[in-house]
Amino acid sequence: MDYSDTADRISLKVKAKGHEADTAKIEGKLRRLVEEFGVPPAEAERTVMNELAREFSLNGLGTAAGEEKSLNALMAGEWATVEVKVVSLTSAPSSAIAQSGILADSSGAIRFVVWAKANAPLLEHGKWYRFESAVVDEYRGSANLKVHSGTVIREISRDTVLIPEVTPIADLTPGIGSVRAKVIQEWDATHDRMLQTGLLGDETGTVKFVIWKEEGKEQLVPGMVYTLYYAIVDEYSGRYSLNLNTATVIPEEGDITVSSGDTRFSGSLVHIAPGSGLIKRCPVEGCNRVLSRQNYCPVHEIQPGFIYDLRIKGWLDDGKVTKEILVRREVTEQLTGISMDQAKELAENNPLGMDEVFLRVRDRILGRYLSCSGREIDSRVLVNSCEFLPFNPEETASLLNRAGGSS
Amino acid sequence: MAGPARGGFPRREFAFEREPARRVFAAELRESRIHFREGEDEKSPTYILLPTGERCNRIFLVGTLTEKKKQGEQNMFYRARVVDPTGTFFIMAGSYQPEAMQQIARIEPPAFVAVVGKPNVYETPDGAVLISVRCESVTAVDKDTRDRWVLDCAKATLDRIDALGTTPDGQRAGQEYRTDPALFRKLVFEALSQLSL
Repeated sequence: MDYSDTADRISLKVKAKGHEADTAKIEGKLRRLVEEFGVPPAEAERTVMNELAREFSLNGLGTAAGEEKSLNALMAGEWATVEVKVVSLTSAPSSAIAQSGILADSSGAIRFVVWAKANAPLLEHGKWYRFESAVVDEYRGSANLKVHSGTVIREISRDTVLIPEVTPIADLTPGIGSVRAKVIQEWDATHDRMLQTGLLGDETGTVKFVIWKEEGKEQLVPGMVYTLYYAIVDEYSGRYSLNLNTATVIPEEGDITVSSGDTRFSGSLVHIAPGSGLIKRCPVEGCNRVLSRQNYCPVHEIQPGFIYDLRIKGWLDDGKVTKEILVRREVTEQLTGISMDQAKELAENNPLGMDEVFLRVRDRILGRYLSCSGREIDSRVLVNSCEFLPFNPEETASLLNRAGGSS
Repeated sequence: MAGPARGGFPRREFAFEREPARRVFAAELRESRIHFREGEDEKSPTYILLPTGERCNRIFLVGTLTEKKKQGEQNMFYRARVVDPTGTFFIMAGSYQPEAMQQIARIEPPAFVAVVGKPNVYETPDGAVLISVRCESVTAVDKDTRDRWVLDCAKATLDRIDALGTTPDGQRAGQEYRTDPALFRKLVFEALSQLSL
């Protein structure tokens, strides 16, 4: 392998700074690194460059800086030089991190991290910078720009106005995303540090959102429409979630019609699982787990003050696929014709107790044809509405034609 | 808009998948002979291959329970006959299917029933082949549900006939059973004809 080109390139850079560089010596070092130590050539170039930079206490030699690129052209694992605007700064989660947030250019946006050890200048929100020799890696499935001690950061003046493209919720992918959406649900916070969580929706679907407690962060108003620039799209077990701490929140006028995101599935109910019918739930706030027969909650132990609930857990089957369905109380009442109060009375006055409710629910719906609509999560459908499918004599005629037509 | 180089995230890959319950008329099920186990494991699912070219591990049927018989002393079990427009299904439920057994015990024939169960092929010593369905559940239903099932089963059977020869199972069925599609179309036609009466 020939190292003279690389060696020339390095010596030129050093000479440009006014120092002497011995090309042959550089070439020797490169050869040794690559051939004896198996270092990749690009890494070897960087190592030699860094060594010389230290020797002459040079700054900004830029090593194997990588060519200047737009953000959407970056690939994980490469070195990058970019000119970008700081569009969001978030509080660093660890003392090892000096700053983190989001950088954007006209092509897209990317998360960034400045390590404390990098001794980098403090970045300011809204300003443009040129980053030389930053590293692109992957963090939670999306690209992330790392600023380390070898990265050169220089403020540049630009007055380009960046308007990020808004993505329909159904098309979000992990990384950074901007949406225009309505706050359709607000959920109980599941963590002390959580300021607000809930559901956002637009015409194409819905997505969970989270805002963590941080200075200057405000809650969104349920029912309001917002444009949210530069939110972080995370993925947890196949579902997306928007972290709005990085986002620029702009309240909007007007309303949008939110798609329910529901899917419809029809078939016959081929199985009703135990735990259907009347159940007891743990009364501890935020728990709601199903209690065993002895009123035992797996977390909060014996709970005599349980809360009753009515539901159906089962499998709906169209002959090609089977989906687990979870039918909530109102829909269960309407399907079975058994109200919550009737179910409670049955359970309390019958020798079989809650089993009696299970048997009655089973006898009314098992083996029947149902059409259910609801949110599908991990091939389990949380049913919002459900009807019995009637016999439709018109279908007979078309099937007769199909059977008789081509024989 | 999102950052570049998104890594593909592995979704939950080995989520449990329940075997769907196939719809099949009694006259077709009766003709099935080939049964096999998928995989080496003792718990691997077993299938029977339908003449119209689909493997099934579980079936769903709705028909008329015409007869039931309790058998055995220590290991009590029920045998019953369920009739559809094309023929008779032989169903059974033993002590390993307590729920189905209790359900059958409470239903007085004749009654419309919806049955979910697993078909098994038995060969008698004299070489005859019997197919019986080991029940997971047997629920009394109304006539509407029966009629709905006939439509559902007719459609599923026609879909299988149309796909015959295009899938590996379809090709295998074509070779092993020498399935005549016209015969099964006729079967479907006759089943449907009884509905409109």
